[in-house]
Amino acid sequence: MKYIIFLLTMMSGQALLAHDFTPTYPKLETTHQSGVLKASMKLFNKRDDIRYYRVGVYDSEWNKIPFIVSGGKTINVEYLDTKRFDVYIQESRRRDITYICTKSLTLQDGSTKSIMASRICSKVK
Amino acid sequence: MLNKTFTLLATLMTFCASAFAEEIPISGSVESKCIVTQDTAGVYGNASPETLSTATADGGVHPVVRFDVIQADYYMAKISHPTSFTESPNLSDTVTWTGTTSVDQVSDAAMSAYDTNKVEYDNVTEVDLSIAGSTWFKIESEADYGYNKAFPGGQYQAVVTAECIAI
Repeated sequence: MKYIIFLLTMMSGQALLAHDFTPTYPKLETTHQSGVLKASMKLFNKRDDIRYYRVGVYDSEWNKIPFIVSGGKTINVEYLDTKRFDVYIQESRRRDITYICTKSLTLQDGSTKSIMASRICSKVK
Repeated sequence: MLNKTFTLLATLMTFCASAFAEEIPISGSVESKCIVTQDTAGVYGNASPETLSTATADGGVHPVVRFDVIQADYYMAKISHPTSFTESPNLSDTVTWTGTTSVDQVSDAAMSAYDTNKVEYDNVTEVDLSIAGSTWFKIESEADYGYNKAFPGGQYQAVVTAECIAI
């Protein structure tokens, strides 16, 4: 029964402002460039108030790790659109890389509403 | 004889066409994931001049965020209530921030244990999402200006950060 409720919730029209980032545990793959690894990620924007997301890569202590994203670290994703992108890191940092995150970028629109910034982090194992 | 063959072929082709028309594949996959959804946008009420609060009694609305996880024990929810305004008039005095995060609704009754198992530090609340399903978290936020000082008129905005971190 609980799964039915969950599925109905997931399928309901209420999920208008959702942020979805996968895979949960990305794998680092070799690239044609020696010494460079990449992780392929997918971002689905179901937030109609958000158009931009910022990618971040961190170690286990949440220190930033240098990286490059195909198309830039700030990603434009239209509402209900899916964006696939690759995160490139140096092979020498393979042991350090722990989290790959996307965070919504909110714009100040002058309203008094408390707005929500969402961040989802995948873990490299 | 030839007419019969044509008729038979035409009939067979019709059936084949019907068969193709009925078989429309829909493919999909279920994978571990976390979805963060803004369920309710919060509003600061200003019942007394020196306080901005999301409490209903103060005319505010508590923001509500929903976490959906497909599989248990894959993610941790981390919710931070505001400690500063992202937009406000020029404030010459200090603002004291308080806030709490609590479970509002659940898709599984066992999730109510999240409230007792949550870890709180600074302005952050962490919850191990140990049960698959949806959990709604309510965030309460209050800002007090100076010592009983009235907030200057203008627009105020603060941000709740909802994070879902793979564990």
